[in-house]
Amino acid sequence: MRSWIQREFLYRRRVYGVLFVAPAMLFFLVFSLYPTLNGFYLSLTEYTLLKPPVFVGFENYTKLAGNDQFQNGVKVTLWFLLGTTVPKWILSLALAMLFLAPFRGREFFKTLYFTPTLLSAVVVSLVWKLLLDPNGVISALAKPITRDPDTLWLSDRILTPISLIFVDDWAGIPFFMIIWIAGLVGIPRVFYEAALIDGTTRWQAFLHVTLPLLRPTILFVVVISTINSFQSFALQYVMTRGGPSDLTTTIALLVYNYGFNYFRMGQAAAMSVFMFFVIILITLIYIRSVRAEETSYT
Amino acid sequence: MASPDRYSEYAPAPYSGTRGSFSVHFRQKANGAALYAAMCLGLLFFCVPLYYMFTTSFKAEPEVFAMPVHWIPRSFLPQNYVDAFLAAPFPRYFWNSLLVAVIVVGSTVLFSALAGYGFAKFDFPGRRLAFLFILSTMMIPFQVLLIPLFVVVHQLGWTNSYAGLIIPGALSAFGVFLMRQACLTLPDELMDAARIDGAREVGIFIRIVLPLLKPAIATLAILTFLGSWNNFLWPLIVVTKDELFTLPVGMTVFQQPMQAPYWTYIMAVSTVATLPVVIVFLLLQRYFIEGVVVSGLKG
Repeated sequence: MRSWIQREFLYRRRVYGVLFVAPAMLFFLVFSLYPTLNGFYLSLTEYTLLKPPVFVGFENYTKLAGNDQFQNGVKVTLWFLLGTTVPKWILSLALAMLFLAPFRGREFFKTLYFTPTLLSAVVVSLVWKLLLDPNGVISALAKPITRDPDTLWLSDRILTPISLIFVDDWAGIPFFMIIWIAGLVGIPRVFYEAALIDGTTRWQAFLHVTLPLLRPTILFVVVISTINSFQSFALQYVMTRGGPSDLTTTIALLVYNYGFNYFRMGQAAAMSVFMFFVIILITLIYIRSVRAEETSYT
Repeated sequence: MASPDRYSEYAPAPYSGTRGSFSVHFRQKANGAALYAAMCLGLLFFCVPLYYMFTTSFKAEPEVFAMPVHWIPRSFLPQNYVDAFLAAPFPRYFWNSLLVAVIVVGSTVLFSALAGYGFAKFDFPGRRLAFLFILSTMMIPFQVLLIPLFVVVHQLGWTNSYAGLIIPGALSAFGVFLMRQACLTLPDELMDAARIDGAREVGIFIRIVLPLLKPAIATLAILTFLGSWNNFLWPLIVVTKDELFTLPVGMTVFQQPMQAPYWTYIMAVSTVATLPVVIVFLLLQRYFIEGVVVSGLKG
Protein backbone atom coordinates (compact mmCIF):
# COMPACT_ATOMS: atom_id res chain seq x y z
CA MET A 1 0.00 0.00 0.00
CA ARG A 2 1.25 3.42 -0.85
CA SER A 3 1.59 5.21 2.40
CA TRP A 4 0.35 8.75 2.89
CA ILE A 5 3.98 9.72 3.27
CA GLN A 6 4.78 8.66 -0.27
CA ARG A 7 1.76 10.49 -1.62
CA GLU A 8 2.62 13.55 0.40
CA PHE A 9 6.20 13.47 -0.93
CA LEU A 10 5.05 13.14 -4.51
CA TYR A 11 2.74 16.10 -4.06
CA ARG A 12 5.53 18.13 -2.53
CA ARG A 13 7.93 17.22 -5.33
CA ARG A 14 5.56 18.78 -7.82
CA VAL A 15 4.29 21.81 -5.97
CA TYR A 16 7.47 22.94 -4.24
CA GLY A 17 9.61 22.27 -7.29
CA VAL A 18 7.51 24.73 -9.26
CA LEU A 19 7.46 27.19 -6.37
CA PHE A 20 11.24 27.14 -5.98
CA VAL A 21 11.91 27.53 -9.67
CA ALA A 22 9.22 30.14 -10.33
CA PRO A 23 11.13 33.32 -9.31
CA ALA A 24 14.07 32.42 -11.53
CA MET A 25 11.81 31.55 -14.46
CA LEU A 26 9.94 34.82 -14.14
CA PHE A 27 13.23 36.72 -14.00
CA PHE A 28 14.64 35.15 -17.14
CA LEU A 29 11.40 35.56 -19.05
CA VAL A 30 11.31 39.29 -18.29
CA PHE A 31 15.02 40.14 -18.41
CA SER A 32 16.38 37.66 -20.97
CA LEU A 33 13.80 36.17 -23.30
CA TYR A 34 11.63 39.22 -23.76
CA PRO A 35 14.55 41.65 -24.36
CA THR A 36 16.18 39.24 -26.80
CA LEU A 37 13.03 38.91 -28.88
CA ASN A 38 12.30 42.59 -28.51
CA GLY A 39 15.85 43.36 -29.69
CA PHE A 40 15.15 41.60 -32.97
CA TYR A 41 11.90 43.51 -33.29
CA LEU A 42 13.49 46.87 -32.42
CA SER A 43 16.10 46.34 -35.12
CA LEU A 44 13.19 46.51 -37.59
CA THR A 45 11.88 49.79 -36.23
CA GLU A 46 12.71 53.42 -35.86
CA TYR A 47 12.72 54.27 -32.18
CA THR A 48 13.99 57.25 -30.20
CA LEU A 49 12.51 56.35 -26.77
CA LEU A 50 10.22 59.39 -26.97
CA LYS A 51 7.64 58.00 -29.38
CA PRO A 52 6.54 54.37 -29.77
CA PRO A 53 8.65 52.33 -32.21
CA VAL A 54 7.66 52.62 -35.90
CA PHE A 55 8.05 49.49 -38.02
CA VAL A 56 10.34 50.12 -40.99
CA GLY A 57 11.20 46.59 -42.16
CA PHE A 58 14.82 45.94 -43.03
CA GLU A 59 15.67 49.59 -43.54
CA ASN A 60 18.09 49.65 -40.59
CA TYR A 61 20.04 46.76 -42.06
CA THR A 62 20.22 48.22 -45.57
CA LYS A 63 21.35 51.51 -44.01
CA LEU A 64 24.10 49.66 -42.14
CA ALA A 65 25.49 48.29 -45.39
CA GLY A 66 26.09 51.82 -46.64
CA ASN A 67 27.19 53.27 -43.30
CA ASP A 68 30.87 54.23 -43.37
CA GLN A 69 31.05 54.42 -39.59
CA PHE A 70 29.74 50.89 -39.32
CA GLN A 71 32.10 49.51 -41.94
CA ASN A 72 34.97 51.21 -40.18
CA GLY A 73 33.70 49.73 -36.91
CA VAL A 74 33.73 46.22 -38.35
CA LYS A 75 37.30 46.70 -39.53
CA VAL A 76 38.45 48.14 -36.19
CA THR A 77 36.73 45.34 -34.30
CA LEU A 78 38.30 42.61 -36.43
CA TRP A 79 41.82 44.01 -35.96
CA PHE A 80 41.24 44.35 -32.25
CA LEU A 81 39.89 40.81 -32.17
CA LEU A 82 42.94 39.45 -33.96
CA GLY A 83 45.35 41.32 -31.70
CA THR A 84 43.63 40.35 -28.47
CA THR A 85 43.02 36.67 -29.13
CA VAL A 86 45.93 34.92 -30.85
CA PRO A 87 48.76 36.55 -28.82
CA LYS A 88 46.73 36.02 -25.66
CA TRP A 89 46.33 32.29 -26.32
CA ILE A 90 49.98 31.71 -27.12
CA LEU A 91 51.51 33.81 -24.34
CA SER A 92 49.14 32.60 -21.63
CA LEU A 93 49.76 28.98 -22.63
CA ALA A 94 53.52 29.52 -22.59
CA LEU A 95 53.30 31.01 -19.10
CA ALA A 96 51.10 28.15 -17.92
CA MET A 97 53.70 25.63 -19.19
CA LEU A 98 56.38 27.44 -17.21
CA PHE A 99 54.26 27.18 -14.07
CA LEU A 100 53.76 23.43 -14.47
CA ALA A 101 57.22 22.49 -13.31
CA PRO A 102 57.72 22.99 -9.61
CA PHE A 103 60.28 25.51 -8.47
CA ARG A 104 60.90 27.51 -5.37
CA GLY A 105 58.44 30.37 -5.09
CA ARG A 106 56.11 29.08 -7.79
CA GLU A 107 52.95 29.88 -5.85
CA PHE A 108 54.32 33.31 -5.00
CA PHE A 109 54.93 34.16 -8.65
CA LYS A 110 51.64 32.68 -9.77
CA THR A 111 49.65 34.67 -7.24
CA LEU A 112 51.34 37.93 -8.17
CA TYR A 113 50.95 37.25 -11.90
CA PHE A 114 47.25 36.89 -11.24
CA THR A 115 46.87 40.42 -9.83
CA PRO A 116 45.84 42.22 -13.06
CA THR A 117 42.70 40.07 -12.96
CA LEU A 118 41.68 41.85 -9.75
CA LEU A 119 41.47 45.23 -11.46
CA SER A 120 38.26 46.35 -13.07
CA ALA A 121 38.34 47.28 -16.73
CA VAL A 122 37.90 50.94 -15.78
CA VAL A 123 40.86 50.91 -13.38
CA VAL A 124 43.00 49.07 -15.96
CA SER A 125 42.12 51.73 -18.51
CA LEU A 126 42.85 54.62 -16.15
CA VAL A 127 46.18 53.23 -14.96
CA TRP A 128 47.35 52.51 -18.49
CA LYS A 129 46.15 55.88 -19.66
CA LEU A 130 48.53 57.39 -17.14
CA LEU A 131 51.37 55.02 -18.06
CA LEU A 132 50.87 55.66 -21.80
CA ASP A 133 50.72 59.43 -21.45
CA PRO A 134 53.11 61.11 -23.90
CA ASN A 135 55.16 62.25 -20.89
CA GLY A 136 54.56 59.07 -18.96
CA VAL A 137 56.44 55.99 -17.89
CA ILE A 138 56.19 54.03 -21.12
CA SER A 139 57.50 56.94 -23.14
CA ALA A 140 60.44 57.18 -20.75
CA LEU A 141 61.14 53.45 -20.91
CA ALA A 142 60.86 53.33 -24.70
CA LYS A 143 62.96 56.41 -25.27
CA PRO A 144 66.17 54.51 -26.16
CA ILE A 145 64.22 52.77 -28.94
CA THR A 146 61.83 55.48 -30.13
CA ARG A 147 64.29 58.39 -29.61
CA ASP A 148 61.16 60.43 -29.19
CA PRO A 149 60.72 62.35 -25.92
CA ASP A 150 56.93 62.17 -26.05
CA THR A 151 55.45 59.41 -28.15
CA LEU A 152 51.71 59.72 -28.76
CA TRP A 153 50.73 56.23 -27.64
CA LEU A 154 47.05 57.11 -27.43
CA SER A 155 46.57 59.61 -30.23
CA ASP A 156 48.84 58.44 -33.03
CA ARG A 157 46.96 56.88 -35.93
CA ILE A 158 49.04 53.69 -35.98
CA LEU A 159 50.13 53.39 -32.35
CA THR A 160 46.75 53.85 -30.69
CA PRO A 161 45.06 50.63 -31.83
CA ILE A 162 48.24 48.75 -30.96
CA SER A 163 48.36 50.31 -27.49
CA LEU A 164 44.79 49.25 -26.77
CA ILE A 165 45.51 45.72 -27.96
CA PHE A 166 48.57 45.62 -25.74
CA VAL A 167 46.63 46.73 -22.66
CA ASP A 168 43.86 44.22 -23.29
CA ASP A 169 46.42 41.42 -23.64
CA TRP A 170 48.14 42.55 -20.46
CA ALA A 171 44.89 42.38 -18.53
CA GLY A 172 43.73 39.09 -20.06
CA ILE A 173 46.85 36.90 -20.13
CA PRO A 174 46.94 36.12 -16.37
CA PHE A 175 43.32 35.05 -16.44
CA PHE A 176 43.80 32.61 -19.31
CA MET A 177 47.05 31.41 -17.75
CA ILE A 178 45.03 30.13 -14.78
CA ILE A 179 42.57 28.44 -17.13
CA TRP A 180 45.40 26.71 -19.05
CA ILE A 181 47.02 25.53 -15.82
CA ALA A 182 43.75 23.98 -14.71
CA GLY A 183 43.54 22.16 -18.07
CA LEU A 184 47.19 21.07 -18.15
CA VAL A 185 47.08 19.69 -14.63
CA GLY A 186 44.23 17.43 -15.71
CA ILE A 187 46.32 15.58 -18.31
CA PRO A 188 47.19 12.14 -16.92
CA ARG A 189 50.88 11.52 -16.47
CA VAL A 190 50.82 8.12 -18.20
CA PHE A 191 50.52 9.76 -21.61
CA TYR A 192 53.84 11.49 -21.15
CA GLU A 193 55.44 8.34 -19.88
CA ALA A 194 54.22 6.55 -22.98
CA ALA A 195 55.59 9.35 -25.17
CA LEU A 196 58.90 9.09 -23.36
CA ILE A 197 59.13 5.37 -24.04
CA ASP A 198 58.45 6.07 -27.71
CA GLY A 199 61.41 8.45 -27.68
CA THR A 200 59.60 11.62 -28.70
CA THR A 201 61.18 15.05 -28.35
CA ARG A 202 59.69 17.75 -26.12
CA TRP A 203 58.17 19.51 -29.08
CA GLN A 204 56.60 16.31 -30.41
CA ALA A 205 55.21 15.52 -26.99
CA PHE A 206 53.70 18.99 -26.85
CA LEU A 207 52.16 18.72 -30.32
CA HIS A 208 50.90 15.16 -30.14
CA VAL A 209 50.11 14.67 -26.48
CA THR A 210 49.49 18.00 -24.80
CA LEU A 211 47.53 19.82 -27.49
CA PRO A 212 45.09 17.02 -28.38
CA LEU A 213 44.38 16.28 -24.73
CA LEU A 214 43.92 19.94 -24.03
CA ARG A 215 41.10 20.27 -26.56
CA PRO A 216 38.27 21.14 -24.13
CA THR A 217 40.42 23.88 -22.59
CA ILE A 218 41.41 25.17 -26.03
CA LEU A 219 37.77 25.42 -27.00
CA PHE A 220 36.95 27.26 -23.80
CA VAL A 221 39.82 29.72 -24.08
CA VAL A 222 39.17 30.45 -27.74
CA VAL A 223 35.45 31.02 -27.37
CA ILE A 224 35.64 33.05 -24.15
CA SER A 225 38.50 35.26 -25.33
CA THR A 226 36.71 35.92 -28.62
CA ILE A 227 33.48 36.90 -26.91
CA ASN A 228 35.35 39.04 -24.38
CA SER A 229 37.18 40.87 -27.15
CA PHE A 230 33.95 41.49 -29.02
CA GLN A 231 32.40 42.94 -25.91
CA SER A 232 35.35 45.10 -24.89
CA PHE A 233 33.93 48.51 -24.11
CA ALA A 234 35.46 50.22 -21.06
CA LEU A 235 38.94 50.14 -22.58
CA GLN A 236 37.94 52.09 -25.68
CA TYR A 237 35.48 54.31 -23.85
CA VAL A 238 37.87 55.40 -21.12
CA MET A 239 41.19 55.45 -22.95
CA THR A 240 40.34 56.95 -26.32
CA ARG A 241 36.57 57.44 -26.69
CA GLY A 242 37.05 55.70 -30.03
CA GLY A 243 39.61 58.19 -31.29
CA PRO A 244 41.75 59.30 -33.00
CA SER A 245 39.29 59.79 -35.88
CA ASP A 246 37.30 56.62 -35.08
CA LEU A 247 40.36 54.36 -35.36
CA THR A 248 39.42 52.59 -32.11
CA THR A 249 35.63 52.84 -32.47
CA THR A 250 34.60 49.21 -32.21
CA ILE A 251 31.08 47.99 -32.89
CA ALA A 252 30.45 47.81 -29.15
CA LEU A 253 31.25 51.52 -28.87
CA LEU A 254 29.14 52.28 -31.95
CA VAL A 255 26.15 50.50 -30.43
CA TYR A 256 26.56 52.67 -27.35
CA ASN A 257 26.94 55.86 -29.38
CA TYR A 258 23.94 55.18 -31.61
CA GLY A 259 21.78 54.06 -28.71
CA PHE A 260 22.66 56.54 -26.00
CA ASN A 261 24.18 59.56 -27.71
CA TYR A 262 22.06 59.75 -30.89
CA PHE A 263 19.08 57.82 -29.43
CA ARG A 264 18.70 55.83 -32.63
CA MET A 265 17.67 52.61 -30.91
CA GLY A 266 16.63 50.86 -34.14
CA GLN A 267 20.04 51.35 -35.77
CA ALA A 268 21.81 50.36 -32.56
CA ALA A 269 19.67 47.24 -32.24
CA ALA A 270 20.43 46.27 -35.84
CA MET A 271 24.16 46.55 -35.10
CA SER A 272 23.89 44.38 -32.01
CA VAL A 273 21.88 41.78 -33.93
CA PHE A 274 24.67 41.75 -36.51
CA MET A 275 27.20 41.28 -33.71
CA PHE A 276 25.09 38.52 -32.19
CA PHE A 277 25.18 36.50 -35.39
CA VAL A 278 28.90 37.05 -35.88
CA ILE A 279 29.60 35.82 -32.35
CA ILE A 280 27.35 32.78 -32.83
CA LEU A 281 28.98 32.06 -36.18
CA ILE A 282 32.53 32.26 -34.82
CA THR A 283 31.60 30.07 -31.86
CA LEU A 284 30.10 27.45 -34.18
CA ILE A 285 33.13 27.49 -36.48
CA TYR A 286 35.45 26.95 -33.53
CA ILE A 287 33.35 24.15 -32.11
CA ARG A 288 33.22 22.50 -35.52
CA SER A 289 36.93 22.77 -36.22
CA VAL A 290 37.75 21.37 -32.81
CA ARG A 291 35.35 18.48 -33.40
CA ALA A 292 36.83 17.78 -36.84
CA GLU A 293 40.29 17.58 -35.32
CA GLU A 294 39.00 15.21 -32.73
CA THR A 295 37.98 12.64 -35.33
CA SER A 296 41.30 12.92 -37.14
CA TYR A 297 43.22 12.12 -34.00
CA THR A 298 41.36 9.03 -32.93
CA MET B 1 69.55 10.27 -25.68
CA ALA B 2 66.51 11.54 -23.94
CA SER B 3 66.63 11.45 -20.21
CA PRO B 4 63.37 11.10 -18.31
CA ASP B 5 63.87 14.46 -16.66
CA ARG B 6 63.65 16.32 -19.92
CA TYR B 7 59.96 15.55 -20.09
CA SER B 8 59.13 16.46 -16.57
CA GLU B 9 57.62 19.79 -17.47
CA TYR B 10 54.88 18.16 -19.50
CA ALA B 11 53.85 15.89 -16.72
CA PRO B 12 50.81 16.93 -14.75
CA ALA B 13 52.41 18.62 -11.82
CA PRO B 14 50.02 18.82 -8.93
CA TYR B 15 48.40 22.22 -8.70
CA SER B 16 50.46 22.98 -5.63
CA GLY B 17 53.33 21.19 -4.02
CA THR B 18 56.04 19.19 -5.73
CA ARG B 19 56.89 15.62 -6.51
CA GLY B 20 60.38 14.16 -6.64
CA SER B 21 61.12 13.55 -10.29
CA PHE B 22 59.94 16.95 -11.55
CA SER B 23 62.31 19.04 -9.58
CA VAL B 24 65.46 17.18 -10.69
CA HIS B 25 65.51 18.91 -14.04
CA PHE B 26 65.11 22.40 -12.69
CA ARG B 27 67.85 22.04 -10.12
CA GLN B 28 70.31 22.41 -12.97
CA LYS B 29 71.88 25.77 -12.45
CA ALA B 30 71.74 27.40 -15.88
CA ASN B 31 68.14 26.48 -16.40
CA GLY B 32 67.14 27.62 -12.95
CA ALA B 33 68.75 31.01 -13.43
CA ALA B 34 67.07 31.49 -16.80
CA LEU B 35 63.74 30.50 -15.32
CA TYR B 36 64.04 32.96 -12.45
CA ALA B 37 65.15 35.72 -14.77
CA ALA B 38 62.07 35.12 -16.91
CA MET B 39 59.85 34.92 -13.85
CA CYS B 40 61.12 38.22 -12.47
CA LEU B 41 60.68 39.91 -15.82
CA GLY B 42 57.10 38.68 -15.91
CA LEU B 43 56.62 39.89 -12.37
CA LEU B 44 57.68 43.39 -13.37
CA PHE B 45 55.45 43.26 -16.43
CA PHE B 46 52.32 42.27 -14.53
CA CYS B 47 52.86 44.08 -11.25
CA VAL B 48 54.54 47.39 -12.07
CA PRO B 49 51.30 49.02 -13.29
CA LEU B 50 49.68 48.19 -9.95
CA TYR B 51 52.70 49.39 -8.05
CA TYR B 52 52.67 52.59 -10.05
CA MET B 53 48.99 53.13 -9.38
CA PHE B 54 49.56 52.72 -5.65
CA THR B 55 52.65 54.94 -5.44
CA THR B 56 51.22 57.67 -7.67
CA SER B 57 48.30 57.98 -5.29
CA PHE B 58 50.73 59.37 -2.68
CA LYS B 59 52.62 61.72 -4.99
CA ALA B 60 52.31 65.46 -5.33
CA GLU B 61 50.71 66.30 -8.68
CA PRO B 62 53.85 67.88 -10.26
CA GLU B 63 55.74 64.68 -9.48
CA VAL B 64 53.52 62.51 -11.69
CA PHE B 65 55.30 63.30 -14.93
CA ALA B 66 58.69 64.12 -13.45
CA MET B 67 61.62 62.88 -15.46
CA PRO B 68 63.42 60.61 -14.82
CA VAL B 69 60.46 58.60 -13.51
CA HIS B 70 60.06 58.70 -9.74
CA TRP B 71 59.67 55.01 -9.02
CA ILE B 72 59.75 55.79 -5.34
CA PRO B 73 57.65 58.88 -4.56
CA ARG B 74 59.66 61.76 -3.14
CA SER B 75 56.61 63.18 -1.47
CA PHE B 76 54.24 61.18 0.70
CA LEU B 77 50.73 62.64 0.72
CA PRO B 78 48.07 60.35 2.25
CA GLN B 79 46.07 63.58 2.20
CA ASN B 80 45.45 62.82 -1.52
CA TYR B 81 42.91 60.22 -0.45
CA VAL B 82 40.95 62.74 1.58
CA ASP B 83 41.20 65.41 -1.11
CA ALA B 84 40.20 63.00 -3.85
CA PHE B 85 37.13 61.89 -1.98
CA LEU B 86 36.15 65.52 -1.46
CA ALA B 87 36.84 66.54 -5.07
CA ALA B 88 33.77 64.62 -6.28
CA PRO B 89 30.99 62.71 -4.47
CA PHE B 90 33.20 59.62 -4.34
CA PRO B 91 31.95 58.48 -0.90
CA ARG B 92 28.48 58.44 -2.40
CA TYR B 93 29.69 56.48 -5.47
CA PHE B 94 31.48 54.03 -3.22
CA TRP B 95 28.34 53.53 -1.16
CA ASN B 96 26.22 53.05 -4.29
CA SER B 97 28.62 50.44 -5.65
CA LEU B 98 28.66 48.62 -2.33
CA LEU B 99 24.88 48.72 -1.89
CA VAL B 100 24.24 47.46 -5.41
CA ALA B 101 26.87 44.73 -5.11
CA VAL B 102 25.60 43.48 -1.75
CA ILE B 103 21.97 43.30 -2.85
CA VAL B 104 22.88 41.70 -6.17
CA VAL B 105 25.02 39.08 -4.42
CA GLY B 106 22.32 38.31 -1.86
CA SER B 107 19.57 38.00 -4.41
CA THR B 108 21.66 36.01 -6.88
CA VAL B 109 22.72 33.53 -4.21
CA LEU B 110 19.22 33.12 -2.77
CA PHE B 111 17.28 32.76 -6.01
CA SER B 112 19.98 30.69 -7.74
CA ALA B 113 20.07 28.29 -4.81
CA LEU B 114 16.27 28.05 -4.74
CA ALA B 115 16.02 27.37 -8.47
CA GLY B 116 19.05 25.08 -8.50
CA TYR B 117 17.56 23.05 -5.67
CA GLY B 118 14.20 22.94 -7.43
CA PHE B 119 15.75 21.71 -10.67
CA ALA B 120 18.00 19.15 -9.00
CA LYS B 121 15.75 17.60 -6.38
CA PHE B 122 12.15 18.03 -7.50
CA ASP B 123 10.10 16.61 -10.28
CA PHE B 124 7.48 18.58 -12.12
CA PRO B 125 6.21 18.78 -15.67
CA GLY B 126 8.43 20.91 -17.93
CA ARG B 127 11.42 20.75 -15.62
CA ARG B 128 13.96 19.80 -18.28
CA LEU B 129 12.63 22.34 -20.73
CA ALA B 130 12.69 25.13 -18.14
CA PHE B 131 16.28 24.33 -17.18
CA LEU B 132 17.35 24.20 -20.80
CA PHE B 133 15.74 27.58 -21.34
CA ILE B 134 17.69 29.13 -18.46
CA LEU B 135 20.92 27.53 -19.68
CA SER B 136 20.40 28.88 -23.18
CA THR B 137 20.11 32.46 -21.89
CA MET B 138 23.78 32.14 -20.92
CA MET B 139 24.66 32.10 -24.62
CA ILE B 140 23.23 35.56 -25.28
CA PRO B 141 26.05 38.13 -25.29
CA PHE B 142 25.32 41.13 -23.10
CA GLN B 143 25.93 43.56 -25.96
CA VAL B 144 22.89 42.12 -27.70
CA LEU B 145 20.74 42.62 -24.63
CA LEU B 146 22.03 46.12 -23.98
CA ILE B 147 19.56 48.10 -26.10
CA PRO B 148 16.40 46.01 -25.52
CA LEU B 149 17.16 45.58 -21.81
CA PHE B 150 17.50 49.31 -21.48
CA VAL B 151 14.17 49.67 -23.28
CA VAL B 152 12.52 47.29 -20.80
CA VAL B 153 13.95 49.21 -17.85
CA HIS B 154 12.89 52.46 -19.50
CA GLN B 155 9.33 51.17 -19.96
CA LEU B 156 9.23 50.08 -16.33
CA GLY B 157 10.32 53.59 -15.34
CA TRP B 158 13.43 52.31 -13.60
CA THR B 159 16.03 54.49 -15.27
CA ASN B 160 17.84 56.65 -12.74
CA SER B 161 16.90 54.44 -9.82
CA TYR B 162 18.46 51.76 -7.65
CA ALA B 163 15.89 49.36 -9.08
CA GLY B 164 17.34 49.91 -12.56
CA LEU B 165 20.87 49.38 -11.28
CA ILE B 166 20.05 46.28 -9.26
CA ILE B 167 17.13 44.27 -10.61
CA PRO B 168 18.29 43.40 -14.15
CA GLY B 169 21.44 41.89 -12.60
CA ALA B 170 19.75 40.30 -9.61
CA LEU B 171 20.05 36.74 -10.91
CA SER B 172 22.37 34.91 -13.27
CA ALA B 173 21.82 31.82 -15.38
CA PHE B 174 25.31 30.75 -14.46
CA GLY B 175 24.34 30.89 -10.79
CA VAL B 176 21.34 28.63 -11.34
CA PHE B 177 23.55 26.22 -13.26
CA LEU B 178 26.24 26.19 -10.58
CA MET B 179 23.72 25.65 -7.78
CA ARG B 180 21.95 22.85 -9.63
CA GLN B 181 25.26 21.05 -10.10
CA ALA B 182 25.99 21.44 -6.39
CA CYS B 183 22.51 20.23 -5.38
CA LEU B 184 22.81 17.13 -7.56
CA THR B 185 25.58 15.90 -5.27
CA LEU B 186 23.37 16.04 -2.16
CA PRO B 187 21.89 12.67 -1.13
CA ASP B 188 18.07 12.46 -1.35
CA GLU B 189 17.91 10.55 1.93
CA LEU B 190 18.93 13.65 3.80
CA MET B 191 15.89 15.61 2.68
CA ASP B 192 13.57 12.60 2.98
CA ALA B 193 14.68 11.97 6.54
CA ALA B 194 13.88 15.56 7.42
CA ARG B 195 10.47 15.23 5.72
CA ILE B 196 9.66 12.13 7.74
CA ASP B 197 10.60 14.08 10.85
CA GLY B 198 7.94 16.54 9.82
CA ALA B 199 10.08 19.37 8.44
CA ARG B 200 8.53 21.78 6.01
CA GLU B 201 10.06 22.22 2.54
CA VAL B 202 11.15 25.79 3.17
CA GLY B 203 12.69 24.70 6.47
CA ILE B 204 14.59 21.92 4.72
CA PHE B 205 15.94 24.39 2.19
CA ILE B 206 17.08 26.87 4.79
CA ARG B 207 18.36 24.50 7.48
CA ILE B 208 19.70 21.57 5.47
CA VAL B 209 20.32 22.49 1.84
CA LEU B 210 21.79 25.99 2.19
CA PRO B 211 24.44 25.00 4.77
CA LEU B 212 25.54 22.10 2.58
CA LEU B 213 25.92 24.40 -0.42
CA LYS B 214 28.40 26.68 1.35
CA PRO B 215 31.42 26.10 -0.94
CA ALA B 216 29.38 26.64 -4.10
CA ILE B 217 27.74 29.68 -2.53
CA ALA B 218 31.15 31.14 -1.69
CA THR B 219 32.29 30.73 -5.28
CA LEU B 220 29.11 32.22 -6.69
CA ALA B 221 29.10 35.10 -4.20
CA ILE B 222 32.68 36.07 -5.05
CA LEU B 223 32.06 35.96 -8.78
CA THR B 224 28.85 37.92 -8.50
CA PHE B 225 30.45 40.50 -6.26
CA LEU B 226 33.33 40.97 -8.72
CA GLY B 227 30.97 41.28 -11.66
CA SER B 228 28.76 43.82 -9.93
CA TRP B 229 31.55 45.85 -8.34
CA ASN B 230 33.41 46.17 -11.63
CA ASN B 231 30.35 46.56 -13.85
CA PHE B 232 30.63 49.64 -16.01
CA LEU B 233 28.48 49.57 -19.13
CA TRP B 234 25.11 48.96 -17.48
CA PRO B 235 25.35 51.63 -14.75
CA LEU B 236 26.75 54.01 -17.36
CA ILE B 237 23.61 53.84 -19.46
CA VAL B 238 20.92 53.29 -16.86
CA VAL B 239 21.87 56.14 -14.55
CA THR B 240 22.52 59.75 -15.50
CA LYS B 241 22.05 61.35 -12.10
CA ASP B 242 25.22 62.09 -10.21
CA GLU B 243 23.93 60.79 -6.88
CA LEU B 244 23.28 57.34 -8.35
CA PHE B 245 26.66 56.84 -10.05
CA THR B 246 28.61 53.75 -9.09
CA LEU B 247 32.35 54.02 -8.53
CA PRO B 248 33.50 53.02 -12.06
CA VAL B 249 31.06 55.48 -13.66
CA GLY B 250 31.98 58.23 -11.22
CA MET B 251 35.67 57.71 -11.93
CA THR B 252 35.30 58.03 -15.69
CA VAL B 253 33.10 61.10 -15.35
CA PHE B 254 35.64 62.68 -13.00
CA GLN B 255 38.33 61.99 -15.55
CA GLN B 256 36.64 63.67 -18.53
CA PRO B 257 38.82 63.62 -21.61
CA MET B 258 38.68 67.39 -22.03
CA GLN B 259 39.63 68.56 -18.58
CA ALA B 260 43.07 68.11 -17.05
CA PRO B 261 42.91 64.91 -15.00
CA TYR B 262 44.16 65.00 -11.46
CA TRP B 263 46.18 61.82 -11.77
CA THR B 264 47.06 61.53 -8.10
CA TYR B 265 43.36 61.72 -7.19
CA ILE B 266 42.35 59.27 -9.89
CA MET B 267 44.98 56.80 -8.75
CA ALA B 268 43.88 57.23 -5.13
CA VAL B 269 40.29 56.43 -6.05
CA SER B 270 41.46 53.54 -8.26
CA THR B 271 43.33 52.11 -5.31
CA VAL B 272 40.28 52.41 -3.08
CA ALA B 273 38.11 50.85 -5.81
CA THR B 274 40.47 47.88 -6.03
CA LEU B 275 40.75 47.41 -2.28
CA PRO B 276 37.53 45.40 -1.68
CA VAL B 277 38.48 43.00 -4.47
CA VAL B 278 41.96 42.52 -3.05
CA ILE B 279 40.52 41.87 0.40
CA VAL B 280 38.10 39.27 -0.96
CA PHE B 281 40.94 37.71 -2.94
CA LEU B 282 43.27 37.47 0.05
CA LEU B 283 40.60 36.06 2.35
CA LEU B 284 39.08 33.57 -0.08
CA GLN B 285 41.84 32.89 -2.56
CA ARG B 286 40.91 29.25 -3.07
CA TYR B 287 37.27 29.98 -3.93
CA PHE B 288 38.33 32.97 -5.93
CA ILE B 289 40.59 31.12 -8.36
CA GLU B 290 38.20 28.19 -8.49
CA GLY B 291 35.41 30.58 -9.40
CA VAL B 292 37.46 32.14 -12.16
CA VAL B 293 38.24 28.72 -13.57
CA VAL B 294 34.68 27.38 -13.53
CA SER B 295 33.08 30.49 -14.90
CA GLY B 296 35.33 32.04 -17.47
CA LEU B 297 33.68 35.28 -16.51
CA LYS B 298 35.58 38.41 -15.84
CA GLY B 299 34.73 41.96 -14.81
